Amino acid sequence: MNAKILGAVSAFALSALLAGPAAAEKHKIDFWFGNSGDIAKRVQEQCDRFNASQSDYEVVCTSQGSYDASLQNTIAAFRAGQQPTIAQVSDAGTLDIMLSGAFYPANKLMADMGYTVDWNDYFGGIKAYYATSKGDMYSFPFNSSTALLYWNKDAFAKIGKDHAPATWEEAADDFKALKEAGYACPLGFNISRDEVWQFEEQFNAIHGEPIATKRNGYEGLDAELVFNKGKWVQFVKDWKNWYDKGYAVIKSKETGQTFVEAFAAGDCQVILTSVGDHGNIGRTAKEGMNWGVAMLPVYAGTERKHSFVGGASLWVLSGKQDADYKAAAAFFNFIAKPEEALTWSTVTGYIPVRNSGYEYLVKQGFYDKAPYAGRELAIKSLTASPADDANSFPGIRLGGLLQIRQEISNGLQAIFIKNEDVQASLDAAAARGNEILRRFEQTYEGKQLP
Amino acid sequence: MEKRVTFSSTTIGLLFAFPMLLLVFVFFYWPGGQALFWAFTLEQPWGGGNKWVGFQNFAHLLKDPIYWNSITRSLVFGAGSTAIAMGVALVLAVLTDREMKGHSAYRSIFVWPYAIAAPALGLAFRFILAPEAGLLSILNRVWPDIWNPALDGNDAMIAIIVAFSWKYIGYNFIFFLSALQGIPRSLIEAAAMDGSGPLRRVFDIQLPLLTPTLFFLLVINITESFQDSFGIVDIMTQGGPARATELMVYKIYFDGFKGLDYSGAAAQSIILMVLVILLTILQFRFIERRIHYK
Amino acid sequence: MVERTPIFNAICHLILFVGLLTALLPFAVVIIAATHDIKTVNIVPMPLMPGHDFMANIHEAWVRADLGRKLFNSVIFATAVACGKVILSAMAAFSIVYFRFPGRSLIFWAIFVTLMLPLEVRIVPTYAVAANVLAPFQALLDVTGVTWLAAHLAGLQIKLQWGLLNSYPGLVLPLVATATGTFLYRQFYLTVPEELAEASKMDGSGPLRFFWDVLIPLSRSNMIALFTIMFVWAWNQYLWPLLVTTDPNFGIAVTELRSLIPSEFGLPDWNVAMAGTLLIMTPPLIVVILMQRWFVRGLISTEK
Repeated sequence: MNAKILGAVSAFALSALLAGPAAAEKHKIDFWFGNSGDIAKRVQEQCDRFNASQSDYEVVCTSQGSYDASLQNTIAAFRAGQQPTIAQVSDAGTLDIMLSGAFYPANKLMADMGYTVDWNDYFGGIKAYYATSKGDMYSFPFNSSTALLYWNKDAFAKIGKDHAPATWEEAADDFKALKEAGYACPLGFNISRDEVWQFEEQFNAIHGEPIATKRNGYEGLDAELVFNKGKWVQFVKDWKNWYDKGYAVIKSKETGQTFVEAFAAGDCQVILTSVGDHGNIGRTAKEGMNWGVAMLPVYAGTERKHSFVGGASLWVLSGKQDADYKAAAAFFNFIAKPEEALTWSTVTGYIPVRNSGYEYLVKQGFYDKAPYAGRELAIKSLTASPADDANSFPGIRLGGLLQIRQEISNGLQAIFIKNEDVQASLDAAAARGNEILRRFEQTYEGKQLP
Repeated sequence: MEKRVTFSSTTIGLLFAFPMLLLVFVFFYWPGGQALFWAFTLEQPWGGGNKWVGFQNFAHLLKDPIYWNSITRSLVFGAGSTAIAMGVALVLAVLTDREMKGHSAYRSIFVWPYAIAAPALGLAFRFILAPEAGLLSILNRVWPDIWNPALDGNDAMIAIIVAFSWKYIGYNFIFFLSALQGIPRSLIEAAAMDGSGPLRRVFDIQLPLLTPTLFFLLVINITESFQDSFGIVDIMTQGGPARATELMVYKIYFDGFKGLDYSGAAAQSIILMVLVILLTILQFRFIERRIHYK
Repeated sequence: MVERTPIFNAICHLILFVGLLTALLPFAVVIIAATHDIKTVNIVPMPLMPGHDFMANIHEAWVRADLGRKLFNSVIFATAVACGKVILSAMAAFSIVYFRFPGRSLIFWAIFVTLMLPLEVRIVPTYAVAANVLAPFQALLDVTGVTWLAAHLAGLQIKLQWGLLNSYPGLVLPLVATATGTFLYRQFYLTVPEELAEASKMDGSGPLRFFWDVLIPLSRSNMIALFTIMFVWAWNQYLWPLLVTTDPNFGIAVTELRSLIPSEFGLPDWNVAMAGTLLIMTPPLIVVILMQRWFVRGLISTEK
């Protein structure tokens, strides 16, 4: 046993020796994130730019392949004391880490490291989503997006219209007219777990309707789901009606073509999806197709509220050295630059998260040019009402959010595919969702929601 | 099953098993035990502590009719994919073993499906199975609406069974073939001399000698169909439409790995383990008896 | 062929040929996708006529995923896992089949149960073990009071620490610890005629000799089959290597696929992703071909 200890100790000493000179050059920290493919390359480029911009620190950025693998690996590493300094956590994992205490709050970090950050520079809707109920920012909003309505201008011209529907009533007439003009898929949609947010969460957000009590969970873990009691039920009934009449068509990977692909190919005339898809639709759209974006419709007579932000934020984990935190703060300071916002929005479909970044983009004429024009509507949608408006909701703060989305998706599938009763299915989804919330509450018994 | 002739040295016997036991203890039982302990608690994912709840997690699952449905579906999936993967692989292996023209190419290519990478499998089967644009859309042109895994739960179940079996045909094929190659040529030739035809020989000589391998593959296929299927469900259906392909292991993966409900996933894992172990014990009890090891 | 059966042979050929097409179809889809440009690959349905961008896509995938180094790592990793399984399983099964000591069947079942709990479920504690493989023993010492005794009687602080993160052993060992191989060898050993062991005992040669001179040569086909399957299986392992290797020097090819698979809002360049997949799938396909050449006809007669 002693020999083993000695062996381990000497191996450790050796590695310390080897690491010694390298550490003197640049202090390295790890940053784990979940994006893959082209976006992972863009994150890597951002890291490279930071590393080249100064000589004190080096951020080693590692893609973990997906949001869930990244979160899982970060948790595993944290519990073994091997955590990275910076980790990306998607909206669905936010509440767990917030309650864990496993992090160094963003606002405290920047203050401790001597940076002054104007937290109000973040767009209200984005800040509200990630902040605590007291308005403290514990993490840095990173890749952010929100939903928009995409419409095919050529098809709408055929029915004598030059603008996208602003209300759902108008949209219903447009769908009908498009169908009668011979279009097979006026509205393309899907109801899988990852594609219901634009129809459920965003609908409730812009209508100022609650998804759960306690201000959508911001004011306590004892929140209960109420999406089955508001305006959204009527929307699902209308939506199902469009589906039955062939105005709305399910387009998914399983049918062979996702609704985004169907829109780009000119097969579907309206879709609701993230602003993040704007770039891809531009790149893959059928030759010569005219299309545009608009804010999501509301029911007539509704005062529009701000939509919710989607995506992920960056958390700094606890248990690291002071030097690690200095490096992290320098990195955050770097990516907050307006020039970085411009590059980031140019190479990805994500939007700037701060006013200063947005204004810089506007000044540079970013939104005037063809491939990017229209994306400013995402900002308009996120800021449609002030963040402190008592009649709107900051976001969703529910435990087991992913499982709840799955329950909603299952409820909608029962309605659309198996023709089950709308109200009964949504009630069942809410009841199952509430069980998830109660389990979550019990898991964190005694913890206070910050 | 017992050997008549054995060696008596317990020390050497144990030494032979020791390396594997050590690895299994350190990398399976120790961490696995911890994970299973969570089944009786509510574990905070980031490690902030847990709360002892006894059998609450199990009670919660077992009183849920939807969970029982997923058990039924897993059994259907296990039976279907095992039958297809083993049946097809056996036929192909026996035919390849006849060493007709081109058999050396078949020998390799029938193993290839096991080597396909997950993203390629997803893309390829999407291309083949999609009801509107895939190769199978031909079916819909002849009989409208006969094939639609996106909206029809039974079709979706068939789709994942086919994709899973396709991959495991490669796995089964190589073990069948290696066992068939172990049968001496002289035996088959002698039978041929006696005038028994090729099919007769398969049933009289080859199949009986294959039984140890058949049993091995049966146990492994059933186990893997319960344990290894979440990847295919995640790529192809995500458990839908309307829960039609929500297998037990997919729910474990979704709740635990994606949804951070470690305790719920642990309780489900225990139920799944008990089920698979029961199935295995049944197989050892009732099927292994009929095997001729010599 | 032993006799002439033309009609039966024709049927056999037909079945084999249909099997061949079914086995190759998904690969064909991947190859065709890898020849398109980004616009064509996203057309639904994807055109079946190959495009002209094959080499460009292959090049892009090779550079972006840094495949040169990663493929090399993958070969080492998958070979090590496959060898580890082939060897340790052969030994464990020998112990279970050819020795008679108490707890023998318990050992078999203890190894067998490892098939029952996928890594995804136990990833958090397994990582903790990889960060310090001696942690289980430390815990045992703590619980049994040995740590306390050593600290009080000898003034020794026992702190066992041996981390395997970012190392080949860390990548390989946890994946060797499964049961498939042991079970397969058990099945094979049980078919080995008793006379061989008897003869070996009469000669007065011990179990080691018998294992090495008789069993190992006899199990050649089994070993090759097992090696092939385990090589391919290890090659495609994704989650564990991703977690254990944050140092790019130890990264393997399949985890590099993540830099090629399009994520939400990323460019849907499935053509490059499929070109990369094709590159990454090639080595295991070649291993399958090479291994098949070493299959040999059985030599032992199983007749009594």
